[in-house]
Amino acid sequence: MNAVSRSNAYNFGFLDEYAKKEVRRAILKAIAIPGYQVPYASREMPMGRGFGTGGLQLTLSLIGPNDVLKVIDQGSDDSVNAVNLRRFIEMTCPGVSTTTKTAECTLIQSRHRIPERPLTSKQIIVLQVPYPDPLVVVEPSEDKRKTMHGEADYSRLLVKLYEDIVKFDEITISHRYPTRINDHYVIDPSPIPRWDVPKLHASAALILFGAGREKKIYAVPPHTKAEPLAFSDVPFRVEDFRDEQGRRRACARCGCTDSFLDEFVTDSGIKTYQCSDSDWCNEKMALARQTEGKPA
Amino acid sequence: MRTEGIWRADVQQRVFRELVEAFSRPGTIREIGDCIDGAVAQRAVLATLMDGEVTLADPHGQIAPADWPLLQAKPSACEHARYVAANGGRAPDFEPALGTLESPEFGATVLIEVERLGQGEIALELTGPGIDGQRRLHLTGLHPDWLRRRADWVGSFPLGVDLLLSDAHRIVALPRTTQIHRLEGVR
Repeated sequence: MNAVSRSNAYNFGFLDEYAKKEVRRAILKAIAIPGYQVPYASREMPMGRGFGTGGLQLTLSLIGPNDVLKVIDQGSDDSVNAVNLRRFIEMTCPGVSTTTKTAECTLIQSRHRIPERPLTSKQIIVLQVPYPDPLVVVEPSEDKRKTMHGEADYSRLLVKLYEDIVKFDEITISHRYPTRINDHYVIDPSPIPRWDVPKLHASAALILFGAGREKKIYAVPPHTKAEPLAFSDVPFRVEDFRDEQGRRRACARCGCTDSFLDEFVTDSGIKTYQCSDSDWCNEKMALARQTEGKPA
Repeated sequence: MRTEGIWRADVQQRVFRELVEAFSRPGTIREIGDCIDGAVAQRAVLATLMDGEVTLADPHGQIAPADWPLLQAKPSACEHARYVAANGGRAPDFEPALGTLESPEFGATVLIEVERLGQGEIALELTGPGIDGQRRLHLTGLHPDWLRRRADWVGSFPLGVDLLLSDAHRIVALPRTTQIHRLEGVR
């Protein structure tokens, strides 16, 4: 086998070929049955479960030497989790190039965000999932949940949302918003903010979800209907970034007013806001410098 | 001894990515000839997906006896197999597994070899997930019974079968969610 790298004695992509085949068969079934959680034999990875082992197994089963990979953690390419995963993939996949630029990559592994820049049909995004089943809050038995999913019976989940409205006048789920795929299965879209949920609908890119600890893989194929659960009189809405005066807050760094913002508290105790997607923010800053005639 | 390309890990990775594209965008024809080095597409797909964990049925004798030990798949009756390799020129004379409500992934993947993809007397209009609007697919050498039987098999989602059609060096997927409308008199 020429796939064994001479330099580090790991098989290309760390996983052995049998493990990859298992993941690959599950991926194809997941795409064929949009939103259904396909069980698979999740392998031990050299990092703790809960650190993105599900997403990592998908990435390693997909990746080839021609891929350009981007790894994101909460929108940033430079946080510890993203750096460690990227280094691990660089070490075990010789020939693969990595980038921080959304526009350049072919494969994205992400934790908790979908990039602001719209993805293209040439890209695949893999999301790391801690809890794959949205029904777990209303039904503890997996057997029963599987039947409920099969029958597309989500009445108890809707009751839960209704109870929220009764108590708080709005649906209080901030992330992992239950989303119905192709009018049948409801998925947990991983802890992405509400802001990113509309990006699942009719996406140009294939979206894959991997839950390593829970041993599930599911998918939203391109150009597929994805509807967040809501009621006709209480529609779904994304995060509101307006200040007390009703003005849209801007990123303190690049000034962008149409991206998802993270809130920071400065040393002096003042709240400031910054783009969560670091590549988007850098791109906006480079653009601003260009128009001002400064070197990028 | 030189290993034939389709058994090599790097070739299988490329074939797999083409399969991902094919299943993500039903009806798009994916050319895999350049990476499988003269092997037949159906055989390359089998080499990519099979190992000792899965069951495979071969009702039409598509698989050479010498390939079985390399594929490692457990031979099985069509009714129970997770994968079925078939010849599209012949009428389907079996009932594939459709999965269960709880585990629809047990619905079979049926690999059907046809004469030619991309042109021919059969014109299909496809809609469903993975297709922006509609997509048209032309092909030659698929027995008309396949489409009738498939309509029964995929009639109650999430149960169903996923088809992967192939000619010598191209593949096209028709997962269970794709609605197929046969166009008459279109070439």
